[in-house]
Amino acid sequence: MNKKRERDEHLEHLWYMKEEGKDSVAGLQEVMKEDYDFDIIEELESEELVELSEEKDKIELTKSGEDYSRQLIRAHRLAERLLHDVLGGDFESGACEFEHTVTPELVDSICILLGHPRACPHGLEIPQGQCCRKSSRTAQSSVIPLVELKVGQAARVAYINCQSDQQLHKIDGLCLRPGAVVTLHQRYPSYVVECENSNIAMDEQIASNICVWREPEHFQAGEEESRFETGGRDNRRGRFRHRKGKRS
Amino acid sequence: MSSKKTESERKKGSGGAAARKIAILGLPNTGKSQIFNNLTGEYTLVANYPLTTVEMKRGVCRIEGESYEVIDTPGLHCLYIHSEEELIVREMIFSEKPDIIIQCIDANQLKQSLALTADLLETDIAMVISLNSIDETAKRGVRIDSEGLSRLLGVEVVESAAVNNSGIKELKSAIAKAGSGKPAVEYDEIIESGVAAIESELGEDVSFKRKAAILLLLEDPFLGDYLTEVCGREKVARLRQRVSEVRRGFRGNIGQAVNKRRNQWIEDLAEKTIRRQTKDAGEFSESFGRLSRHPVFGLPILAFFLVTTFFLVVYAAGFIESVLGGILVEPTVEFVRGHLPSGFWNEFIVGHYGILTMGLFNAIVTVLPILSVFFVMYGFLEDIGYIPNLCVLVGRFFERIGLTGKAIMPLVLAFGCKTMATLVTKGLRSRKEKFITIYLIAFAIPCSAQLAIDMGILGKAGFTAFLIAYGTLGVVEICAGFVLNKVIKGDEKSDFIQELPAIRVPNAKAILVKTYYRLYWFLKEAVPIFIIAAAALFFVDRTGLLDLTKHVLEPVVVGWLGLPIDIVDALILSLARHEAAAALLLNMADSGAMNFVQVIVAVVITTMFVPCFANIVAMCKELGVKTGIAMALTINISSFILAGILNWILIFTIGRWFL
Repeated sequence: MNKKRERDEHLEHLWYMKEEGKDSVAGLQEVMKEDYDFDIIEELESEELVELSEEKDKIELTKSGEDYSRQLIRAHRLAERLLHDVLGGDFESGACEFEHTVTPELVDSICILLGHPRACPHGLEIPQGQCCRKSSRTAQSSVIPLVELKVGQAARVAYINCQSDQQLHKIDGLCLRPGAVVTLHQRYPSYVVECENSNIAMDEQIASNICVWREPEHFQAGEEESRFETGGRDNRRGRFRHRKGKRS
Repeated sequence: MSSKKTESERKKGSGGAAARKIAILGLPNTGKSQIFNNLTGEYTLVANYPLTTVEMKRGVCRIEGESYEVIDTPGLHCLYIHSEEELIVREMIFSEKPDIIIQCIDANQLKQSLALTADLLETDIAMVISLNSIDETAKRGVRIDSEGLSRLLGVEVVESAAVNNSGIKELKSAIAKAGSGKPAVEYDEIIESGVAAIESELGEDVSFKRKAAILLLLEDPFLGDYLTEVCGREKVARLRQRVSEVRRGFRGNIGQAVNKRRNQWIEDLAEKTIRRQTKDAGEFSESFGRLSRHPVFGLPILAFFLVTTFFLVVYAAGFIESVLGGILVEPTVEFVRGHLPSGFWNEFIVGHYGILTMGLFNAIVTVLPILSVFFVMYGFLEDIGYIPNLCVLVGRFFERIGLTGKAIMPLVLAFGCKTMATLVTKGLRSRKEKFITIYLIAFAIPCSAQLAIDMGILGKAGFTAFLIAYGTLGVVEICAGFVLNKVIKGDEKSDFIQELPAIRVPNAKAILVKTYYRLYWFLKEAVPIFIIAAAALFFVDRTGLLDLTKHVLEPVVVGWLGLPIDIVDALILSLARHEAAAALLLNMADSGAMNFVQVIVAVVITTMFVPCFANIVAMCKELGVKTGIAMALTINISSFILAGILNWILIFTIGRWFL
């Protein structure tokens, strides 16, 4: 089990305890059994996600800890719904891996597809997301063509559709490849993107064949960002943020 | 290939050991030509943009008493080839087997260059890496651990700021002790065994077997031709079969698997050797670059450069010209007239078509000042890296006239030299696009020398004249694009993706050196032509042929174009060299022999009229002799028709104010 997942598990269990109105450290240890690890709790405390009482026997989520756990629970319960309603499968085992690997956008998309369900198959409440509050009806794809980025926005390349091997090699030679971070600088008269420290001009046809991950919009500022990075992402903070006010 | 071999053997036989070969390779715009110049002490044009070098150039350099043959090459991204201009470079590597490779890497773009490094390491040739513009990298807050890089690759890495000639001593000593590096990328077992199997079947004569085997496995589209030449058709067929067996044995896409390993290797190296701090410095040049390709601010910047150049050419060059005229031309003419009796020799030397008056003085008094001022300005724009940004400005516009992206760079380069731009069209794969591009390059675009002198001529009539003449040329060019796009069949679309160089602070010394060489080449190439053309005109005039030609052409020139009949001299001269014709026009405008409308029409027709001889040769080379000559003729006819139309439009619109 990796570090992020261990932390997530602790936070999820704290959310369950909050729902049940419990707050004892011993209770947490009891439900988590061998997965319980006090080092992680101390680490979470130092990051101000949880608050321990003086005697270290009571534990509670802080405001930011609550926000973070809400995302996890939401993803987990939506996954259960998805497996249960749409696939009719065993929702328990599949869903518990799910919340550790998805982006908030993907969670929102699933929520929209399922019609903003309010409760999981167990009957527990699914925390609302932005999409529920706006009661969105259309899901957004999490991969978009480069041409749909805003000017000044950065994104990570997901994949590139190419017409020929030669074109692929040429684009690859410029370091434009899956995983690279590109910043769109200009859309008109030609597209100009920055990639690996150099500027590249291209026509609309190529730009629309480069597909990037949509940036997690409500996690762009501050702390949450680095924590919500999924596996492959670069951990250096700020590389994934909007450039503000640079609309040229 | 075999002929190459015998050639080198012959060299060995005649003059002791043959010089070892150094090939300078690297991505476009990484300073290869600069390194070449620094090593050999020769000069090839360098600029801050890709495609400056179109053909191989060879020179000699001596290091520690041993002499080497140095080869400068056009840009190369990797050994898996995607365009014809890159193919020549790979063919050179495979057929000439250089002893040492210098890979030029722009330190700002280390990561982009590493794919080529991986390829070159696979050839097992001794190698040195020259890390160029390291000074700029430092300014941008990026630090590169070159010692670490050298350790990881197993080859010498030399830091240099090529423009200032620094690091060249280190480079030379690195060359003297260069060795081949560590094998770079190791592929999946199944691929490795496939490579080994193919390798063992390659004949003795094939160079760089491992690399060749990998390229074969990736189904490189061009390698087959080389192999057929080396080991025959049958062998290649057997190899192909072998390759498809290996490919079938592999689940998934081999190309992707290979690329993945390679990218991992690159990421890993970059991670270990590049340290990035803040990126504050270079903010100015970055924002200037951004402004210069901005749809709104870009145009004023372009206009600013054009207008500045215009006024510099008109006034600064005009001043130099008048000074030179006073101290050189008048005394000489006086002297000759005073000492030679009037008659044949007097006329031949200082007469209307005299070899001094029309030949030498036109070249050095009229044309040289204009070119020197213009080349300083143009060199400045090249050096800061402004020109490729124009590609962005005009990009979408070109699409409208049926040209797609790849044609943009050649057309922009045509403002420098049309011959070179024509050769650059090698990169265009669609025949239709290539045809249109070459046509447009030859047609209404002035090359730098022409543009400079046009500015000089139009300057006599004022800035409005410049606007009208160049506006017309622009409209003509666009219409030509439209028409050709409609007339010619075939609609294969090609794509445009172009790296933009970083805007950098200009280097005064580099600009002056470049201007010096350009002027030197002009004097060396053009002055004899000026003189010969003047002499030729003189004799044609003597025999009465000139008058006859003028008589025949009079209805067209005077009637249709509305120009003075002496313009025929200029048209004939432009067959030899455009500057010679332009110089004549300049004198005519100067002496008041032409009015406002005539100046404009004259400039427009000489700009469009027959492209220079070198350009026609390049056209024939790219399109075939028949098409090339047919195109040149079409251009001539249309230039007469269009200039006449312009003449009549001008007469009926603004003519009444000036005539």
